[in-house]
Amino acid sequence: MRNILIIARRDLRAQFNSPVAYVVIGGTLLLLGLLIFKLPHMSVAGVAIGGFWEIDRATMDEMFSLLPALLSVLVIPAITMRSLAAEKGSGTLELLITMPVRDSEVILGKFLAAFTTVVILLALTLLYPIAMFKWPMNFGALDWGPVWSGYLGCLFFSAASVGLGLMFSSLTESDVVAFFLTLVSLFALYAIGPMVSVVHGGVIGDAISFISFQSRYQSFARGLIDLRAVVYFVSVALLSLLVSFRSLESRKWS
Amino acid sequence: MSNDVMIYASDLSKNFGSFRALDKVNFEVKRGEIVGFLGPNGAGKSTTMRILTCFISPTGGTARVNGHDVFDAPLQVRESLGYLPQRAPLYLEMSVLEYLRFAADLRHLDDSTFRQRARSVVEVCGLAQVLGKEIRHLSHGYRQRVGLAQALIHDPPILILDEPTSDLDPNEKAEFLDYLKQIGQHRTVMLSTHNLAEVEASCARAIIVSRGRVVADGPLDEIRAKSGRVRYVVSIQESAVGAQYRGRGPLPKRSEVEDALGKVDGVKKVGELPTDERAHSFELVSEQDVDLRPELFKLIVDKGWVLLELHRDAQTLEDVFRSLTIGDERRNRQLGAAAEADDEQDDEEDVDDEDEGDDEDAERSADEDQKVAKDDRS
Ligand SMILES: Nc1ncnc2c1ncn2[C@@H]1O[C@H](COP(=O)(O)OP(=O)(O)OP(=O)(O)O)[C@@H](O)[C@H]1O
Ligand SMILES: [Mg+2]
Repeated sequence: MRNILIIARRDLRAQFNSPVAYVVIGGTLLLLGLLIFKLPHMSVAGVAIGGFWEIDRATMDEMFSLLPALLSVLVIPAITMRSLAAEKGSGTLELLITMPVRDSEVILGKFLAAFTTVVILLALTLLYPIAMFKWPMNFGALDWGPVWSGYLGCLFFSAASVGLGLMFSSLTESDVVAFFLTLVSLFALYAIGPMVSVVHGGVIGDAISFISFQSRYQSFARGLIDLRAVVYFVSVALLSLLVSFRSLESRKWS
Repeated sequence: MSNDVMIYASDLSKNFGSFRALDKVNFEVKRGEIVGFLGPNGAGKSTTMRILTCFISPTGGTARVNGHDVFDAPLQVRESLGYLPQRAPLYLEMSVLEYLRFAADLRHLDDSTFRQRARSVVEVCGLAQVLGKEIRHLSHGYRQRVGLAQALIHDPPILILDEPTSDLDPNEKAEFLDYLKQIGQHRTVMLSTHNLAEVEASCARAIIVSRGRVVADGPLDEIRAKSGRVRYVVSIQESAVGAQYRGRGPLPKRSEVEDALGKVDGVKKVGELPTDERAHSFELVSEQDVDLRPELFKLIVDKGWVLLELHRDAQTLEDVFRSLTIGDERRNRQLGAAAEADDEQDDEEDVDDEDEGDDEDAERSADEDQKVAKDDRS
């Protein structure tokens, strides 16, 4: 346990010593703000999103439909790409692993570090509802229920996505390759959700909404805590951690 | 296995795909020994060390470190080790002090122990000036020093160092080897290197590997004697410029001297050494158990030549190393030696051109042919 924390702390420090974390977090916050306030009706991955000013309701719906998309295509690939790929590429993994640490502790430490970075970003997005509905502005009485459930959904969504990112990072020695693999697969998992409406239910529709991160996440954004979705996201996270662990171990037998 | 065997390797083999990097390597290292692990590029030194540190697993055989099996108890193995991988791969974005603290944290050193150990390793490795610097800004030599420092930080009973001195300047090298000797009395050190002088300076014992096999293992004196050859250097005056010639008869010709020396009983090989025009200098090789000096002296007196120099020495470690590993080198210089083709992962910066000797060694060639045969099969 202690080793996990030591490894995670080192990774976090490295993350925040480089501009990547700041660029990603700052960029995401900025983009989020622009999208919430400025853009009129548009669609992100097929989901219609209204500009904030055109909807006379006090909700944060826009933010919670945008967040997973931004996390998928920008934040998580950039944060997880270096986790293991760069260490393998530069050889630092050899020194890390020959310390008295278990392979599983290395994986969990890396996961914890990347996940913490995402949590920091999510915590910072809280500034938007606060700024809009508490202080300095007060656009009305916000129903905070869906906000908290939305954040909960984002946490589970991020756990699964960070897991996948870490997995791709463990499979290659190049962080660029890891970045694109993660981006493509997260985008695919997100974007197939809206396709449900195209195929109109049925087995295929069920299958799609079963695996799509977007459909799984939807209910959270609407204020529901879907237990099956929780189980799904946690399973994806665990499975990808297991694959990362195996892939790290496989160096022994190459 | 006695308690004092700190590193034990038995029939260690490692295949990378169809390439056999280690082939039944056996050795033991006891407490208090400093062992030099020698071999040409690609011989399998780093591979062996990676197995001992549980970074990779052997394909066959067993290894124990401090009594713990590398398969069953990798954590205990690593706890007893300080390890410096080749080329010291460090986290570049950390400062030296941060890195040392990170290593100490993973070794579970408490704060006061860390401070005390840090002071000592900083002194030994000469890091005082760079403690606050980011590792990315350090020169290669300093990075290597940091790598050494992290291997020493927890004062481990066993040190495994992969080319620890390759980038160090002579002062630091000497300092470090001194330190090794000093701590080595109660610890076990295994260090790989290409620098034979270093082995002579710091190790009492050497293990020489070549093409994945141990070709020599023992105290340096024994290894030196292993080839069973002795070398003589003979210099005969060739011309007397500006001085009176003290010999009998005419000044000798080169071929005359060479023929005569070659005819002496017991001489296996005569080679000319480069000199100026004042002397003929030859190198003779003989079996170890005879001393040719009386014969040589008598021959020279009989001929009436003027002897300028005559000495006898056992082969240097370098000669032995070359003769034991010469097969590798020769194959490296032939196109089509396919086994070497998958070297791309491990291309080294340190080109060791000293290895290119071309002394023939009949005794080795049988061994070599066997290896060639093995290789062709794979
Ligand atoms: N991961 C790997 N995959 C494939 N082959 C490998 C791998 N690691 C090492 N080898 C091969 O194993 C052989 C031994 O390599 P090793 O690194 O142990 O040599 P070495 O004795 O340390 O050489 P050097 O003096 O150049 O450091 C080499 O031929 C190398 O190409
Ligand atoms: Mg090596």
